Amino acid sequence: MFSESGISIGLRIRDGAVAAVLIRSTRMVRAARLFAKRPHAEVLHLLPAVFSLCGTAQAMTGLAAMEKAAAITASPAQKAARALLVQAETVTEHGLTIARDWPTLAGGQPRLDHAKRIRGALAGLRSVLYPQGDWLSPGGGALTADCDRICAAIDQARQSITQLMGHDIGELVLPIAFQAWLERDPGHLPGLVRAKGWAGLGAAPFLPMPEMGPPDLAARMATDRDGQYLARPDCAGRVFETGALAHWAWHPLIRDLMDRHGTGLLPRLAARLVALAEGLHEMEELARDLRTEPACSLPGLSGEGLALTEAARGLLAHRVVLNDGKISQYQILAPTEWNFHPEGPLVRTLHGLPADPDLEWQARLLVNALDPCVACTITLE
Amino acid sequence: MCMAVPSRVIAIDGQMAVVEAFGQTRRTSLMMLDEEVAVGDYLILGAGGNFAAEKVPAETALAAIAYLAQVLEDGLA
Repeated sequence: MFSESGISIGLRIRDGAVAAVLIRSTRMVRAARLFAKRPHAEVLHLLPAVFSLCGTAQAMTGLAAMEKAAAITASPAQKAARALLVQAETVTEHGLTIARDWPTLAGGQPRLDHAKRIRGALAGLRSVLYPQGDWLSPGGGALTADCDRICAAIDQARQSITQLMGHDIGELVLPIAFQAWLERDPGHLPGLVRAKGWAGLGAAPFLPMPEMGPPDLAARMATDRDGQYLARPDCAGRVFETGALAHWAWHPLIRDLMDRHGTGLLPRLAARLVALAEGLHEMEELARDLRTEPACSLPGLSGEGLALTEAARGLLAHRVVLNDGKISQYQILAPTEWNFHPEGPLVRTLHGLPADPDLEWQARLLVNALDPCVACTITLE
Repeated sequence: MCMAVPSRVIAIDGQMAVVEAFGQTRRTSLMMLDEEVAVGDYLILGAGGNFAAEKVPAETALAAIAYLAQVLEDGLA
C-alpha cells in the first residue's frame, strides 16, 4: 500500500508552555534516486506528473539542472516563458491558500468559487506558450508569444484575486492600505489575527535563506551518499527559513510589519499577499520579454548540473548527473525540508508558546503560514 | 516530497468522487476542477486528499504509477 506522505507535529507541554516540538516526516526525500538509468526526457515528463503542488517548478528546475549539466543556455525568451509559468504556479498556490484555507482557519467556509476562478485563469498558460506541448525540451521548445492571451489570463487572475480580497492586490500591499484593510474588515484571517492580538505570535530568531541558496549547497548535495542532507539540510549547523517571508523580507510592507511584530504570524500572512502581488507584477513584466521561437534540437546530454528555483513554498534545488542523455544521479532538495526540519523555522516558531486553550489553533495557523506541501497533523503531548 | 499518487475514479456522485490508488479508496471533492470527470479518469489530489486538484491523461498517470510502484518496491516510500 502506498501511504500518502505527511508531517506530524507533536507539541510537548511542560509548565504551561510548549517545551519541545517533535517533527516526524514520511516525505519521500530519496525517491528521486530512482530516476537513475532513465532517459532525461522520461524524467522531465515524470516530474510534473509525480509532484502534486509544484509540478511546474519541479519540472523547470529539473530542466535547468539538465541544461547546466550539458552547458546549454536557453534564450532570454525561453527563460522568460519558464519564469512566467513558475510564477503562475506560485500565484495560483498562494491564491488557493488564501481562498480555500484562510477562511477555514478563521472559522468560516472555504471560498471555493474564488479558488476555482484563480486556478482557472492561469491553468491554460502552458499550452498558450508551448502549443506543441514541448515545454520541457532542453534548450527550449517551440515558443509562441501570444502576448494578448497571456496578458488577458494575468488580468483575469488579478481580477479574481481582487474580488476575493475586496481590494486591488497591488495596492493592498502598500503599508498604509494594508493597515486600513486590516482595521476595516476583521472577518478575514489577517484581520482576525490582528483583532486577537496574535500579530506577533510565534516571533522567533530569523535565519532567512540566502538569495542564491546556502553557500555549501553544491558540495553538500554532491557528497550526500545516504540522503541525510536531503532529509535534514543545514549550513554549518544553521537551518534556514525559505518561502514567502524569507524571500520578501526586504519589501516595505514586510519590513514595516517585522519592525513591529518580528517574524510573527501577521508578517507571515502578509508575505503571502506580497508574493501574490509581486508574482502578478512579475508575470506582466515577463510577458514583455517573450518572443516566438522555434524548438531547439540537441544531441545527447552529459555532465553535472545544479539548478535552483524560488518556488511557491521556497527554494527548490535539483542536482543531476547525465551521461549521454541518461540520468546517472538525481537529487531533489525541497523547501519543506528546511522549514519543517526538526531544528528549523517551525520549531523555533512554536517553541515556548503558552499552552492556552487556543494553542492547537495557533499552531495550525503557524504551520499553514509556513505552508507544508503535504498533509500535516498536530497533537498536544 | 510532495509526491502525488494519481488516483483512478471508480464512482461519481454529484460533486464527489470515489477514487482508488494502490488499493486504497477515498472520497474527494470535484469542486475545484473545471474539466468533466468520468469513471476511469485519473486525478491528482491536493494535500490531504479532500479536493481533486487536476485531471491527468491516462498515459501520464500510468507512467507516474509505475514509477511510484518502484519507489514502494525499493523501500523509498
